[in-house]
Amino acid sequence: MSATTIDYGTLGERAAAGLKPKALSDEQRIARAKEAFLAGIDADMATYLESCIHCGMCAEACHFYISTGDAKYTPIYKLEPLKKVYRRELAPTRWLNRLTTRDITVAELQDWKELAYDSCTQCGRCSLLCPMGIHIQSMIQVVRNGIAAAGLAPAELQAVSDEQRDKATIFGAGPDKLREVAERVRAKGIEVPLDKDKAEVLVLSSALDFLKDDALLAATAKIMNKLGANWTIRSDGFESANFGALAGDVQAQRRISKRVIDAAIAIGAKKVIVAECGHAYPVLRWEAATLYGKELPFEFLSVAEYLGQEVKAGRLKLKKAGNGASHVTFHDPCKLGRMGGSFDDARNVLSALGVKLTEMESHGRTNLCCGGGGGVAMLKGAQGLRQKAFELKREEVERTGAPTVVTACNTCMQTLETGKAWLNWDKDIVNLVQLVSDNLA
Amino acid sequence: MNEGLYFEGMSLLDFARGPAFRWAVAIFIIGIVWRLTALLLVSPKRLEPVKGSATSGGVRTMLTRSAPAHELEKNIIFQHYSGYAWHISMFIVLLFFAPHMMFFKQILGFGWPTLPNLFITFFAVVTMGILLVLLARRLMNPVLRQISTMDDYVSWIIAFLPFLTGIMSFTHITFGMQYETVLALHILSICLLLVWFPFGKLMHALFIWPSRYKVGAAFARRGVRA
Repeated sequence: MSATTIDYGTLGERAAAGLKPKALSDEQRIARAKEAFLAGIDADMATYLESCIHCGMCAEACHFYISTGDAKYTPIYKLEPLKKVYRRELAPTRWLNRLTTRDITVAELQDWKELAYDSCTQCGRCSLLCPMGIHIQSMIQVVRNGIAAAGLAPAELQAVSDEQRDKATIFGAGPDKLREVAERVRAKGIEVPLDKDKAEVLVLSSALDFLKDDALLAATAKIMNKLGANWTIRSDGFESANFGALAGDVQAQRRISKRVIDAAIAIGAKKVIVAECGHAYPVLRWEAATLYGKELPFEFLSVAEYLGQEVKAGRLKLKKAGNGASHVTFHDPCKLGRMGGSFDDARNVLSALGVKLTEMESHGRTNLCCGGGGGVAMLKGAQGLRQKAFELKREEVERTGAPTVVTACNTCMQTLETGKAWLNWDKDIVNLVQLVSDNLA
Repeated sequence: MNEGLYFEGMSLLDFARGPAFRWAVAIFIIGIVWRLTALLLVSPKRLEPVKGSATSGGVRTMLTRSAPAHELEKNIIFQHYSGYAWHISMFIVLLFFAPHMMFFKQILGFGWPTLPNLFITFFAVVTMGILLVLLARRLMNPVLRQISTMDDYVSWIIAFLPFLTGIMSFTHITFGMQYETVLALHILSICLLLVWFPFGKLMHALFIWPSRYKVGAAFARRGVRA
């Protein structure tokens, strides 16, 4: 039942090899980083940055700190360059702070690359524990923005971000690849309405899904056809993933989101279904309209949300799931759950499938990240760290006694599959779309 | 006329109770207002439709963050409960020691029941003990050492001094100083606290509310209880 595992690390490495480093002087890098930091700090962040009491409790929410015990993975410490710039340049007591806070340096930004990218999946768990209520997760993105503006983002992410911004492809896979995969799905007798001029529902996919096989596209198409929805996939706006957001490149993020928005508006879509791609959901659902500068005439739904709604409305009929998927645990993708607000949708689907669901100790809003989100899965240098963090997930899964782990995010899926290979684990890893598609009544 | 130290005809105690305290209160208030201007920065209007009420989520989190979910809290039991014990003991000593109540009564015009001195002594010792343990922890724990700043240590001393001088004047263990001098030092330690308050981490007593509100609101907009 498991999907093909894609080695993001190797793909990332290959992409990084083609990236030309930006020729910037140290002064330029610092100036650009500061500009991005200051542009990113709003009143909410200023409040958070004023509030920290240096209690260190956030460390105890972070899977990277818990699994290694290494102090540098303390979430609030990952914001240090941002904190410094705020304290020196923006805080009301900046004249006092300048006496005690040194200016940021390029070496510091380079060091913080590991902390803001490799060791933070932006899962948001620390934001739920901080006694002062500091939204650490939201500020990590601003740290990434600054590091990226300084030309110091991880080459893997920056290279793919540039590629996606300029060519609308990821790892070379774009509209042509989509057409090719759609043909293969059609050859299996499953209709794929590609590039319709008008449709109610715009379904997104991702090059990350169809790089190796057509299983997810086929499963999604099967479900949409079964529902009788007036739907399409547009080759000019099908990509859920947004490497601009992952790299911290705001301009690229805006441009990439805009492709989807433009396609949806062009076909008069009422709903845009975001594929099982973790970061894509919050990036489109919670950031795209603001970056676009206008309210949108359609709604973004994650595929799990859409399926949950259709099940609840009685339009999606499912039969009891077999094939060893009778007892499962559900891994909440952080970006869908804690950072997205969708917990019950996937569970409603599982309930309609008649499976026994045993929850992990940390589930729903306090779920433990699998360690692959936020672009971390692409960073080969972060692999050792991910393996350690994955151990926490494995322990929680083991305690449920369920033989199958269901999730609703491609990155989580790949991370769980990779973990399974590392550990020679006997669990079955299944994504929700596949499970639904296999059990349509 | 008071015993104790004199300077140019004014006793240290008179100075502490008079000009020192008035100036400290003035700096305290002006400083707080100034520091709170951080809240006035602009936040962009979010254009995405919400999944829940930001306002009610924010208000809820102001309270619920005091008791995080079990799976999160289980790793911070010590910090969490020592924090509770210290803050509760501190407020008991501040509000329910008879001379403190009398001081507030002079300003507010009304009083309230107080606790016997034995209890107050107990809570004062508890607060000092916890502060010492937390300082040791800050110096030894790698996570804390790494994120600690001068503010943490200055604020620690400034929070500790009122208890030390308070216990000294209450127990008359004055190390050879006149009682009036020790009492003056106690009041001056409060003045120091008031002056430092807006510029250091003691401001968390105020910032905790907007900060919790904002994180609660940010998550509530997305339909998540924070």
